[in-house]
Amino acid sequence: MKRHATNVVGFAVALALLGTAWPSSDARAQAGGLAASGLVGKVEGAELVLDKAQMPKTFNEAPDLAALVKAGKLPPVKERVSEEPLVVKPLHQLGKYGGTWRRGFLGPGDVENGNRINASDKLLFWDYTGTKIVPSVAKAWEMSPDGKIIRISLRKGMKWSDGAPFTADDFVFWYEDLYLNKDIVPSPISDMSADGKQGKVVKIDETTVEFQFENPHFLFVELLAGDTLIGGGQSVRQAQGFTFGAYSPKHYLKQFLPKYSSEDAVNQKARAAGYENWVKAIHVHKDWSLNSELPTLGPWKMTRPINSPTFVLERNPYYWAVDTAGNQLPYIDRVVLTLAEDAEVINLRAVAGNYDMQERHITLSKLPVILENQAKGNYKVRLDLALHGADTVLQVNQSFRADPEIAKWLTNADFRRALALGIDRDQLNETFWLGIGTVGSPVPASSSPYNPGKEWDKKYANLDVAKANQMLDALGLTKKDGEGFRLRTDNGERLRIQIQGVKALLPWPQQGEMIAQHWRKIGIQADVREMERNLAMTRVRNNEHHIMMWSNGGTELLYLFPRHAIPVDPTEAFMGPEYAQWYVSNGAQGREPTDPEMKKIFDLFRSAPGKKDEADRIKIAQEIWKILVDQQYGIGTVGQSPAQFGVRIVSNKLGNIPERVCIAQHCRTPASSHPETWFFKE
Amino acid sequence: MKLAHFFGFGRTAEIGSAEDRLAQASQLKLTWWRFRRHKLAVASAVIVILFYLVAVFADFLAYSDPHDTDSRRSYIPPQAINFIDDGAFRPYIYGLKGTRDMRTFRISYQPDLSRKVYLTFFAEGYSYRLLGLIPTNRHLIGLVDPRPEDNLFILGSDLLGRDLWSRLMVATRVSLTIGLAGVTVSLFLGVLLGGVSAIYGGAVDMAVQRLIEIIRSMPTIPLWMGLAAALPQSWSVLQVYFAITVLISLLGWTDLARVVRGKFLALREEDFVTAAELAGAGQMRIVFRHMLPSFLSHVIAATSLVLPAMIISETSLSFLGLGLRPPAISWGILLQDAQNIETLALAPWLLMAAIPVIVVILAFNFLGDGLRDAADPYG
Amino acid sequence: MLAYMTKRLLLALLTVWAISVLSFIIIQLPPGDFVDAYIANLSASGSVVSMAEAESLRILYGLDQPIYVQYGKWMLRVLAGDFGESMEWKRPVIVVIGDRLWLTVVLSFAALILTWGLALPIGIYSAVRQYSFGDYVFTFIGFIGLAVPNFLLALVIMYFSFTLFGANVGGLFSPEYDLAPWGWGKVWDLIKHLPLPAAILALAGTAQLIRIMRANLLDELRRPYVVTARAKGLPDTRVILKYPVRAALNPFASTIAYLFPYLVSGSIIISLVLSLPTVGPLLLKSLIAQDMFLAGTIILLLGVLTVIGTFISDLILMWVDPRIRYQMD
Repeated sequence: MKRHATNVVGFAVALALLGTAWPSSDARAQAGGLAASGLVGKVEGAELVLDKAQMPKTFNEAPDLAALVKAGKLPPVKERVSEEPLVVKPLHQLGKYGGTWRRGFLGPGDVENGNRINASDKLLFWDYTGTKIVPSVAKAWEMSPDGKIIRISLRKGMKWSDGAPFTADDFVFWYEDLYLNKDIVPSPISDMSADGKQGKVVKIDETTVEFQFENPHFLFVELLAGDTLIGGGQSVRQAQGFTFGAYSPKHYLKQFLPKYSSEDAVNQKARAAGYENWVKAIHVHKDWSLNSELPTLGPWKMTRPINSPTFVLERNPYYWAVDTAGNQLPYIDRVVLTLAEDAEVINLRAVAGNYDMQERHITLSKLPVILENQAKGNYKVRLDLALHGADTVLQVNQSFRADPEIAKWLTNADFRRALALGIDRDQLNETFWLGIGTVGSPVPASSSPYNPGKEWDKKYANLDVAKANQMLDALGLTKKDGEGFRLRTDNGERLRIQIQGVKALLPWPQQGEMIAQHWRKIGIQADVREMERNLAMTRVRNNEHHIMMWSNGGTELLYLFPRHAIPVDPTEAFMGPEYAQWYVSNGAQGREPTDPEMKKIFDLFRSAPGKKDEADRIKIAQEIWKILVDQQYGIGTVGQSPAQFGVRIVSNKLGNIPERVCIAQHCRTPASSHPETWFFKE
Repeated sequence: MKLAHFFGFGRTAEIGSAEDRLAQASQLKLTWWRFRRHKLAVASAVIVILFYLVAVFADFLAYSDPHDTDSRRSYIPPQAINFIDDGAFRPYIYGLKGTRDMRTFRISYQPDLSRKVYLTFFAEGYSYRLLGLIPTNRHLIGLVDPRPEDNLFILGSDLLGRDLWSRLMVATRVSLTIGLAGVTVSLFLGVLLGGVSAIYGGAVDMAVQRLIEIIRSMPTIPLWMGLAAALPQSWSVLQVYFAITVLISLLGWTDLARVVRGKFLALREEDFVTAAELAGAGQMRIVFRHMLPSFLSHVIAATSLVLPAMIISETSLSFLGLGLRPPAISWGILLQDAQNIETLALAPWLLMAAIPVIVVILAFNFLGDGLRDAADPYG
Repeated sequence: MLAYMTKRLLLALLTVWAISVLSFIIIQLPPGDFVDAYIANLSASGSVVSMAEAESLRILYGLDQPIYVQYGKWMLRVLAGDFGESMEWKRPVIVVIGDRLWLTVVLSFAALILTWGLALPIGIYSAVRQYSFGDYVFTFIGFIGLAVPNFLLALVIMYFSFTLFGANVGGLFSPEYDLAPWGWGKVWDLIKHLPLPAAILALAGTAQLIRIMRANLLDELRRPYVVTARAKGLPDTRVILKYPVRAALNPFASTIAYLFPYLVSGSIIISLVLSLPTVGPLLLKSLIAQDMFLAGTIILLLGVLTVIGTFISDLILMWVDPRIRYQMD
């Protein structure tokens, strides 16, 4: 196998070099007031031991499992952790077994809450800094020099949570019996295609699988590590009605497939279990959050489903990771998530000290209250700063058509720049981010390799009312009404721009109200429309919105999660749903952009996966960011803040907790800080 | 007593002077006399009138633009006004300076004792149209030569630094008129359908009764939700406002229809109606000349009891995010702003938005009770 | 009599049918469908969904079919006793509701008892001592419950009971009983948690009942038989409690049926604030998520319960009060 030139270490080093300076040196965040708070620490976390010589040879286990082994109900720990377990070096010390991690969740729609705890069931993952790809379920990976074959090596003797062997067959089963089954997955995904051609999954031997493509797919390793359809892991990608994540327990799921018996037999079985047909049944059977019998790979397996008032996860006795002393992980016995009907209650319960670790659904604006109760609730607050550029981006719909006059202005670069200059970002930061965020354009943090350079951080992101007015006047929007608002050029009525906001991750409608006040000074009337989330999304898909407010979280790795930076995914194409359709359908649907800059972005983005050299891909991403800032398709405001999953409430009883963690989309907070190494000190 | 009613109609009886007055008085007058005995109801009537005056002069009573935001004024507690300056009545406030403590992340405001900002009556402020007609920028009170960061906050400010008092004034107008408009629609539907149901009876009555039963059997919130969610999002605030009004009233008319129908049926058996029929009066004349006046007060009473329900509905809908949405300002929206623990902990004064709601609903209820007690003046 | 009852029964069935159609229409009113709502929810929580997946979900749930087909299919299943499957909870609707329905009933029942417990004595007192100081004070207290938006009351009470007394935040069970199987301990735990939400819920309905009771009793007290009884020197308590109160209770009873949907509607908001596992928040969420069969079934069930309640209270009234029986003939 000489064609596999790049090895594990080589790839990791390359990335690590590029990312050396990443989150640890957020100078802006550390400077000034935030440092005084003492809430933002240094990025740290559990590390993997990849050197064979340092790996433990003997293994220990939790007392309750030891008792089961003694009773003959469970094989010895050495057989359970596989021959080549993942060795994790806990952050501070070896932990103690035991305890229940209490947490809150919002119901069956909040499955991501559990997914993120179990996210180490991904093939590849990122280290705690979020910059380096590391092994997880896969022991190692290699890419052929031509980028057409990606080889994954599995751990010898690794087991599913029910004790059955986990082998290459489980990948082939996923590929042939689930992914290629049109009843289950009606259309193939782009992750699995290189330059328009679908790849395939091939078993080489029991512990070796290959993803084979006809064209180079240099991005594939990053896709496997990222929070993508192919790399997401069984927990997230085979829950919620989806069927991705590249492997699936063949020995368990085959009983529900027609191929292994008959259509009648599986349908009968499905109906007996209360489902309409086998397709509906299998979507539940392969969902780890709903089916407690499903074999899984995560540190905890589910024992009470998410559709009950308490969502409970218990230690997976076959978990394939150990600490440096050979103690099988996780340390914590179980995770109990209690249902709250409303996020407000989750916050109040967290403040009351009812949770041991909670960062999800905690609201930044409640920080003063949360801090006040630290001693009473026996917890400590940590702020984790994000890497993406803006928690609030005004995404301007470029494919808007319903009103030609409005469309004319939305697609005018100077108009958008004037709007950008008309926003007082410091006001927003003070009011909605408690002064914690960083104001600027939508580009990722300056320490990120994808950041196009200092001069782009604040471009068009400083308040300049005079210049904005001047630009709007120059565009011909000179006529104003009695209240000082500019008039439309077609019928002389007031020019009204709609800002669509959803009360979701942030209080966007309220922010919109403030921005509308700022725009009064440049004579622009903004109508803020607060609406229900799915209503807003439906409007976006129907190309009805002018401007949509949303975060660009995840775009710090542009190739893994581009949708909130550029309109390439019709699911949430805030910047132009018709253009996104045109892009994904290769011109078959939607509408071709007339804007040469937008087309340039599309061409650049399309060319990236074919570039072998990571540095080239990064350069392309920087090019895209430059165009995005220059054109202001998305108007950035405030970001690099703890507003999304960054206000972390941690019980003082817990050990091995990092001061600061990576909260980017691909870090799958809290998974990249290895919750299986956390433990209860007393 | 009912006979006295009958004989009292349009005839002068020769009895003693006090009783004379009673006998000669029209029904409305009798109702009024009786109503006056209900002290709480009278007081409530005054309060309701005051509230509607606020609604009419909302912009005049507000002193700062209810939409104007400023992060430097976020969560300012209610401000104390000093009335006496140098021994003379010259109200003033101190300038405020806010700083955020980066350990607690709270903003605290210290008065700048060296800088007094004086208050004045009929001050200039933001522009509006008085009674919707006369353009002006005069407000009841205001500051003299304020700096941009100076502002008066009688009831404190919200997260966005907007003045609660001014917002309350405008919200009062919105919420009270929404209630009134809603009641009008309800009243129309209620009287029409209740009346039709009673007059025609049979299949019509059956159909209307079924409709009422269906509507009353449905939990109201899903009904509102479905209907509110169906409102086109492109509608302006004003359109949504009226749509919400109609929605609320669509569900509120059933009570009125029942009252009207019940009263109609009861009155039809009354002697004075029979007498009118015998006297050869036409059906329309009987309904409008004889029957309507005698249950008008009942309808008024029922209406005044439906109104607070409308106001509560508006606040509930806004709380669920289904009613009016910001930037509209209503009581419901102000309460929704106060619906979180940071408000309770950091800005409890925002809860004061509940006070006018409570007061006006109490007032309407007592008023309604008084009216109903008085509605049957011969009882 | 029998004919009348049959007629009433048929009408009740008609009403139930109308409610089922209406509930289905209401759920369909907002633009978009379950899959849209689902994707919106997932993307806001940091998940990735593609258009192709969305389409496959739509086919899976039969959302690609016309509404009347979906309604027809649902109705056929309902008639067979199967209410369909909740799209969001991925479980049969009846299982999802079952967990919560009886908690709703318990809570509503507790609220009902409290409402009566407050409204009856206050109503009687206010009628007998009309315009007295006590009348004003008690009516005032009753009305306060009506006037204070109960969602606000719920949040304020929850927050201060936590900050001042360190009480549990929301819910109907203590954390230690959350996972426990049913037993006396858990029942007692539930009973301990009931009074607060029940009181908040009850307060809103009390004023209305006070008013009805007061008005009815006032009417009765003016009747000649009461005057006669008083004139004959019967003690006040006996005069009032023996007949007028009983007579005044009749219309009171007929409102019971409508109290149920009212309490459930009211409980949606306070259950949301207090995080109570009742059908209220479930209904709200299923409406937002456009989880048709779940929302439809809840509305339908509530409608049916109300219709049954009305029917029974009609029968009782007919049996209790001969005057009503005459009207029917």
